[in-house]
Amino acid sequence: MTAHIERIRLTGTPPGHHVRLAEFGEEIGSLQREQLLAYGLTAQQTLTVLQQRPMTIVLYEHMELALEHSIAHHIWVEEEARVPG
Amino acid sequence: MSFLFTMRSPPPPSAPTPGNDTLVLVGHPNVGKSVLFHRLTGTYVNVSNYPGSTVEAARATARFDRTASLLDTPGVLALPSRSDDERATVRALLNENLRLIVQVGEARNLRRTLNLTALLAEFGVPLVMALNMADEARACGIHVDTAALAEELEIPVIATVATGGEGIAALTEAFTHAKPPAPFLRYDAETEQAIETATALLAERAPHPHLAARGLAILLLGRDNEVECWLATQTAGGEILARIRELAPLAGRGSLPAQLARERGHAANALARTVTRQSAAQDRTLSLLLGKIAVHPLWGWPLLLAVLHAVYLFVGNFGAGVLVELMEKKLFAGILNPTVTNFVHTFLGEGWLSDMLVGKYGLWTMGMTYALALILPIVTTFFLAFGVLEDSGYFTRLSVIANRAFASFGLNGRAVLPMVLGLGCVTMATLTTRILHTPRERLITTFLLALAIPCSAQLGVVLGVLGGISFGAAALWGLSVVVILLVAGWLAGQLVKGHRVPLVTELPPMRMPVMGNVFKKTGGRLKWYLAEIIPLFLLGTFIMFALDRLGALPWIIEAGKPIVTGWLGLPPEASAAFVMGFLRRDFGATGLFVLGSQLSLIQAVVGMVTLTLFVPCIASVMMIIKEQGLRTAALMLALIMPTAFFVGGLLNHFLRLFL
Repeated sequence: MTAHIERIRLTGTPPGHHVRLAEFGEEIGSLQREQLLAYGLTAQQTLTVLQQRPMTIVLYEHMELALEHSIAHHIWVEEEARVPG
Repeated sequence: MSFLFTMRSPPPPSAPTPGNDTLVLVGHPNVGKSVLFHRLTGTYVNVSNYPGSTVEAARATARFDRTASLLDTPGVLALPSRSDDERATVRALLNENLRLIVQVGEARNLRRTLNLTALLAEFGVPLVMALNMADEARACGIHVDTAALAEELEIPVIATVATGGEGIAALTEAFTHAKPPAPFLRYDAETEQAIETATALLAERAPHPHLAARGLAILLLGRDNEVECWLATQTAGGEILARIRELAPLAGRGSLPAQLARERGHAANALARTVTRQSAAQDRTLSLLLGKIAVHPLWGWPLLLAVLHAVYLFVGNFGAGVLVELMEKKLFAGILNPTVTNFVHTFLGEGWLSDMLVGKYGLWTMGMTYALALILPIVTTFFLAFGVLEDSGYFTRLSVIANRAFASFGLNGRAVLPMVLGLGCVTMATLTTRILHTPRERLITTFLLALAIPCSAQLGVVLGVLGGISFGAAALWGLSVVVILLVAGWLAGQLVKGHRVPLVTELPPMRMPVMGNVFKKTGGRLKWYLAEIIPLFLLGTFIMFALDRLGALPWIIEAGKPIVTGWLGLPPEASAAFVMGFLRRDFGATGLFVLGSQLSLIQAVVGMVTLTLFVPCIASVMMIIKEQGLRTAALMLALIMPTAFFVGGLLNHFLRLFL
């Protein structure tokens, strides 16, 4: 069993999964980026995805943040995934 | 001043008392600044469990030092300022005679708190940190070493629980020995070079009387509009600003404001890790479960319906039914009105003066009876229910499940907060639209508030009248208003140009409301409410009396017949309710309330829907003018009144097809 890092969209992460924030996509504007940083979302931040509908809700450092899909879709996260072999 | 914000009117925050030093409370939204303000001054401002409950700064004299004033500022998500409430905070920092900045932080989220500290520490002003909600941090198993943090920041750091008074004495003691902190962050070399150049320019050519040039330079490089406005008022300000803007490209790739924020985030993260320890958390199963259900895509809706039904039972049945019955029938009709009438007749005899006081349109028998016997019990129960809900943290979660519906208006779920607050008071809610990010969002939300959101008094009267007929009648009214809101919102979203801002919002934990806080703010709101409505109800009653005496009222009723009886299908007497509705919609609705037994189900629903959509009250119109300008306000009114009668008539004819 080996592990490698997969980079996926936050909206593609099923509820209950723990992920690490990799980066914000270029599609996220500078004001929105500042806002996300102000909420404490920075690279390598560990997030727990609580739900994806009707909005993406993540838990980190005892704080719940709700993100609309148009934002969450452009947030890239890393999840340790097991691959066969 | 809106009742939901400030129970007594503070002097304008932009005008500090001459000679008095100011202590400014600064912090993120929903960290307890207003509770702390109450503890430190005794002055009550709105305290609720959702971000954005304070949109204007409030000032009061400090309890611990009568020569100092304390300023409660709106929460800032981040600096440089981007929204109106953030600009209000920066304005306070620029304009006040600052003695001290009190940063109110959240112990549960130290990293975010320190992110703001990294900037506040650059202003060269004595700083004290109140690390609030220490009890919630303990419940989450978070232990912050405040002594180590104080040593790192070189400022007093006090753990507080403002709601329980914990740490307040230590905090006020710390104010006496606060000093300017040492900045704990050096940006990268290129950014530092830009900051140093901008700092030198400001220090030499436009020094601020209280704030360090380095802090202002960082804000200017981050494109803070409020600091740019301040600089524009300084000699050679325009030239300095142009030079500083030229510096921005020197400072590396990408957006400089985002880069500054990122570096502050990293520094805050590093410091937070060194002073925080995590242990096992207390059981918060119920709070988490409720929070989860409230935003669940399926179960969130039944919960909303259950909440609305509970409010209906408490306000509509208990407030508008049981309590109004007691007040109107037993107290006023049974005891007070006959006593006052006898008294007036004994001293004044029969005549126009006694008629004005205790006649059909008497100041006492109509004005005061409406205000105290009909409206007071209804708004009291509404404010109690509203207070419980806002302190529970439910309203912010409502914005998540409402987000999709609001997207069809070109808004996001954040607009649900002013809408819900509008159920308390549309005037205040219009002011709260400042928490929205764009002028477009504010315009659409203000229009929808003015058109289709009934205030607490009107809502109570509506529930009283329609609940007295059947639950179905109340549901029919609710459904009609929601449909109109959706249609008007969709049209407004199509017509008002601009982009929609996607929703990103923090969800505060669901909490058991502190009933002392709920009662306190209900008392404050009632005090404000009575002070505002009694003069208006008396004025409205006097106008009705004068119209009746002059013979104009029968003429108005006759003139209104084609619309009121023909188009709307209401009895002719309902014209008087619409005349009253010009002053306040709830006054007009009360006019229909007293016609209650004469109205059929269709008439009651149509009358209440039309009055719900009718012109907003005078105070709301004044607030719309203040926030949106005279021209926009006039345009809104010109749209709203015909819409109310048009929709009312359509509903009348539609319902008659089926009922």
